[in-house]
Amino acid sequence: MSNNKQHKINSYLTFKLGEETFAANVSKVLNILEMTKVTKVPKAPPYMKGVINLRGAVLPLVDTRIKFEMTPTEFTPNTCILVLDININGESVHVGALVDSVQEVIELDDAQIMPPPSIGTRYKSEFIEGVAKIGDDFVMILDMDLIFSTDELSLLKESVSEEQEEQSSAQ
Amino acid sequence: MDNFRNKFIEEALEHLNDLEGTLLLLEQDPENKELIEKVFRSMHSLKGGGAMFGFELISEFTHNLENIYDLVRNGEMYISKDLLDVTLAAVDHLKNLIDDQKVELPQTQETHTKLLSKIDAILETKSALKITKDISKDKKNTETISSATTKTATYYILFQPNENIFDNGTNPLYLIDELYNLGQAIAIPHFNRLPEFDELIPTRCYTYWEVILSTSQPFNAISDVFIFVEDDCHIDIHKLSDYNLLENNEFYSFVQQAIDRKTDIGIDNLQTLASRINAAIMVKEKKTDERLAVSKENTISSIRVSSEKLDVLMNLVSELVTTQARLSLFSEHSNNNELIAIAENVQKLSRQLRDIAFSIVLIPIENLMTRFQRLVRDLSQELKKEVQFIAEGTETELDKTIIENLTDPLLHILRNSLDHGIEDPAIRVKHGKPRLGTIMLKAYYSGANVHIQISDDGAGIDTEKIRQKAISKGLITPDAVLSHKELLEFIFMPGFSTANNITEVSGRGVGMDVVRRKIADIRGEVEVESKLGFGTTTTIKLPLTLSIIDGLLVKIHDTFYIIPLSSVDKIYAAEHNKVVGTFNQLIVLDGQQIPFFYLRHEFELEENNAPMEQIIVVRYEDKRIGLVVDSVVGEYQAVLKPLGKYYKNQEIISGATILGDGTIALVIDTNKAIKYFARKYKVEEVK
Repeated sequence: MSNNKQHKINSYLTFKLGEETFAANVSKVLNILEMTKVTKVPKAPPYMKGVINLRGAVLPLVDTRIKFEMTPTEFTPNTCILVLDININGESVHVGALVDSVQEVIELDDAQIMPPPSIGTRYKSEFIEGVAKIGDDFVMILDMDLIFSTDELSLLKESVSEEQEEQSSAQ
Repeated sequence: MDNFRNKFIEEALEHLNDLEGTLLLLEQDPENKELIEKVFRSMHSLKGGGAMFGFELISEFTHNLENIYDLVRNGEMYISKDLLDVTLAAVDHLKNLIDDQKVELPQTQETHTKLLSKIDAILETKSALKITKDISKDKKNTETISSATTKTATYYILFQPNENIFDNGTNPLYLIDELYNLGQAIAIPHFNRLPEFDELIPTRCYTYWEVILSTSQPFNAISDVFIFVEDDCHIDIHKLSDYNLLENNEFYSFVQQAIDRKTDIGIDNLQTLASRINAAIMVKEKKTDERLAVSKENTISSIRVSSEKLDVLMNLVSELVTTQARLSLFSEHSNNNELIAIAENVQKLSRQLRDIAFSIVLIPIENLMTRFQRLVRDLSQELKKEVQFIAEGTETELDKTIIENLTDPLLHILRNSLDHGIEDPAIRVKHGKPRLGTIMLKAYYSGANVHIQISDDGAGIDTEKIRQKAISKGLITPDAVLSHKELLEFIFMPGFSTANNITEVSGRGVGMDVVRRKIADIRGEVEVESKLGFGTTTTIKLPLTLSIIDGLLVKIHDTFYIIPLSSVDKIYAAEHNKVVGTFNQLIVLDGQQIPFFYLRHEFELEENNAPMEQIIVVRYEDKRIGLVVDSVVGEYQAVLKPLGKYYKNQEIISGATILGDGTIALVIDTNKAIKYFARKYKVEEVK
């Protein structure tokens, strides 16, 4: 059901982490918030930034940069929180994701989306739905469900290092 | 139509649960007419509903059962253990039938035919029973009367007609006759007003009567008898007792003696005697009454509300409480007296609303008892053990979500008690214990918690066996010194309990580790205490409700935390250098050495440079432990919000709440937090 829906909506929200541009299908993004007060939860993994008050609900906040093995987010006026609707084992869970800046919403036909490259990227291909070329830039369309499903959180790190190891051993 | 069918299914399951409960009561008290009547009624509604909503099979099947209980009701058949076995099996089968209406599953099909033939067999033996019935007819008759008298009350009536009562054609004897028609009566005529023969006027009435009447009719029915003669006579009606006193030998002989003496009995004498007999009967019937009271409670007028609506209501109330906290905060800063007054009123109202809303979702533990009684009954038969199950404090109420999640763990503990705890009757006798084993379930309030205790007087847990097991599994070294309590803790280890099965039992899916985990899911704790040879007690401590707690609001660095008030013992102030940089993490408070944790360190924050620190002393197991925080803000009613799946591995924090100004405060689970800190220090020591 959610899969179908995802493919029907061809709008994508692009955002930046560092210098790289990523895109997420708009059906996954419920809301874009300005940076707000974060309550840190002690003894949580580093990528769990804390919790925020989203209109009376407690929303967990993920530092997306740390998940992508970048340095922790430095707060600037451009820093935003994407409120995502993540499907974890069929259950809809809301989570906030910190991004350095939000760019724009773009329309992409299926034809414009190329399969993810198997080499030349730091990220394991299963987390990337596809790649699209916008102007001179390549935008990676992310599988938000997979990236933000709890069990997959650490897998990303491992898979990156594994891939790097594989690459280095291949070299 | 589907809607109706769903409603029927819901109702049918309720009827079946009622039925099961009543049958189990009936086993204890097979002669109880009211229970039989209740069984019959449940079956009848089930049959009717089934036929109406197209569950023909259920209707037909129940009809057969109903036939049996119709015979029982008419005294043509007795409740026997076999009959109850078949009926209970039938109830189970009916539950299956609701799921599998067309009898598609082969095993359902099999039970269906099997049970039908059993029921037929019972009906056929009826003729044989009839003969035996005739023999014991006398006994039966007296029983019918005595049980029918439960609703009968006894009255004393003094009927003194005026002398001129004959003038308007009234015959007092007819009135006495009418009283006789109301029930069992003794009328005692008194002639002492009769004048000397010379002065006697035949058209005058000189006689008066004292009547003792036992009737199931209401008081009005008695006064109605005299309705037309009220003005022509003196009438006194007193209720003597809620029981049929004429059946009581003591009372009857007292009345007889009075008749022989030909004197007035007088209401005073009667009342003294009656109250004494009443008390005696009451004690005797108290037991039955208690049982009946349970079933009567179910008939308290109530409405059915879907639990989803309740969930929505609870959420709204939680939101309201949060919003109200904001309003209070805002009004305090506004200096507007009218606004402050309004805010205070809103606070009062929302507190009341919250209390009511929370009480709605509380349901008594009683709701679980039928299942437990059934389990004990069936399993003790299967294991050939003699066990009685006693439940105390079943009126204790808990949040419905807690109750739902409590069933499986409790069933598991009960099963353990039955299987591993209670010994075979022969062994019990050999050890000088009563043949009949006892499993006791006790529920009671303890502060903001509910405790549920299941204890048995069985064999107890052999900690030596646990030690051997732990050694063989390489969990401890053979020379390790462990306390009794520490050894018992092993039964909660995953994989340990199943391996440590002292005896085998079939169909056990979960171990005590699962029990502990499930209880932990609803913020509860499990503890086991056992004495070898004397039995085991399992205690489950649960919060009253999952969604609101009374807490102490404290601040550490820039974050607010809530410490549940139920675990707070005392708050002390201490100098900074007494808690930071100490060698052994101990501080002397009120002359007692208390271990403490400096939370800034535990939460990996830099040290506080304020001169004073606050130490919250909390209870942890049987110890007192200090938690050092920056400052104490005050008491706070916290509406708990879960941290969600992303923090599911979070042990220290059990949830969050939103303060009046929108800031989030984190709720510390003191037990888990202390356990976590202590574990960390142990590991460090080892290193």
